[in-house]
Amino acid sequence: MRIFDPHIHMTSRTTDDYEAMAKAGIVAIVEPAFWLGQPRTAVGSFVDYFNSLVGWERFRASQFGIRHFCTMGLNPKESNNPRLTDEVLALLPRYLDKDGVVAVGEIGFDDQTDAEQAAFTRQVELARDFNLPVLIHTPHRDKKQGTIRSIEVIRSVGFPEERVLIDHNNEETLPIVLASRCWAGHTIYPNTKMDELRMATLVQKYGSDRIIVNSAADWGISDPLKVPKTIAVMRAQGIPDATIEKIVWDNPVAFFAQSGRLDVSDIQAPAAVDRTQKFETNSVLRGEQVGKT
Amino acid sequence: MTPLPTSFLQSVVRARTSEAAAEWIEHAAAIDAVDAFCNAYTAVPKHAGRAPLALTESERADLVAWAPDLRCDRWTVDDAARAFLLLSAAQRLEPGAFVSLAIECYERGDAREQQSWLRAISLLPQADRFTAVTVDACRTNIVPLFEAIACENPYPARHFPERQFNQLVLKALFNSIALARIVGLSTRVNADLSRMARDYAAERTAAARPVPPDIAMAIIDDARQESAR
Repeated sequence: MRIFDPHIHMTSRTTDDYEAMAKAGIVAIVEPAFWLGQPRTAVGSFVDYFNSLVGWERFRASQFGIRHFCTMGLNPKESNNPRLTDEVLALLPRYLDKDGVVAVGEIGFDDQTDAEQAAFTRQVELARDFNLPVLIHTPHRDKKQGTIRSIEVIRSVGFPEERVLIDHNNEETLPIVLASRCWAGHTIYPNTKMDELRMATLVQKYGSDRIIVNSAADWGISDPLKVPKTIAVMRAQGIPDATIEKIVWDNPVAFFAQSGRLDVSDIQAPAAVDRTQKFETNSVLRGEQVGKT
Repeated sequence: MTPLPTSFLQSVVRARTSEAAAEWIEHAAAIDAVDAFCNAYTAVPKHAGRAPLALTESERADLVAWAPDLRCDRWTVDDAARAFLLLSAAQRLEPGAFVSLAIECYERGDAREQQSWLRAISLLPQADRFTAVTVDACRTNIVPLFEAIACENPYPARHFPERQFNQLVLKALFNSIALARIVGLSTRVNADLSRMARDYAAERTAAARPVPPDIAMAIIDDARQESAR
């Protein structure tokens, strides 16, 4: 089964991860811009990070036969830094028209402050101006309230709900999202958020319409193979392959294709991998002579 | 007579360091230049060491006299020496210069230096000037750093706005930190925090995960809610 992981922070992952992901059937990924675990203190750090998302990381993924897309945005946590917010938001239009940028995100709430709400709203407006979908991060703390407030922000801007993916849902928030016209993402983590069996139970209860799963693997305890592992558990629970395929391929592809920058026939074709290729004189090779695979 | 905080910290540090180390620390405390002060703040453990502070009975009595709700049980000697540096600078510098020095010192700090800084924050004069920094400190994913502001520290209950205080309590629950470690929690429980804690319990139950037994400390009971109206 072809797999699309619509939320994974590859900047924090190794080439071993890329190898294992390709072997497990992951052929396309979306890397949302987020925070790096350590707060950034200057706008230049964002410039370099955004450049790497459309540059080096995209190239690196290609060397393992994986199509890499990304979303661009100022994350909610760092929206609380008044010295940076305006400068970073002013940077975004530079990136929102680039190839491979398939949404504005991940944006939304963390502490649910006024500063977060302002940056969130401004970025939904930017998505509207650039005709891009929106990827929303829901908070760890006070998640239910944060989900309700996120939908309120979308509605206050008059942004089309079918172009919004609300992520990191759980049993309490999924019915709220499904009652809107937004899509519902689920992050399968080793210890927090959602696990494979709970996910299978949600699919049995709610079906597969607008349902998406991802690994959100990053610099914390996480697992880039969580989508294939969830497929295995859903199969073991008797969920039909057609339903599973809709969740791990059709839905994320349909959602991000709304950007107009995801060519469905292209990502379905096997990727040619040439590791002798270079990105600004760098390759993923370490001096070894490897031919085309 | 009760010693002033600065001289109290000075004598506490002196009692635990060599004469040469104490002199170095006292010299560092008199530095005005921002770079040199911050570098000295970094270098404190080389001189003061990192042993547990372990206050004596009489020192505890002195501390209670001017900082009744500060708990120093987890402090190390370098924490006390760094607190002494900051308090000395606060006494010596005019307020604006002190605030920028202190914030610079925090922002340049590694996780351990920031931990020392946060532990001492309630001792500084007009400590409410540092609310933005301390609220931001709660956004860290480094748990010992979060604990330095959230636990055994009277600062949040005294200075945090309600929403930020509530977020701190939820983050403690989320990180399996005992709520008993949050100083002054019982004086700050409120209806919104109660709602957030109940939602968190419901979310845990729906996920078939245990609900922390001390979550009740974050929930205002009905009788109190009634009398608060």
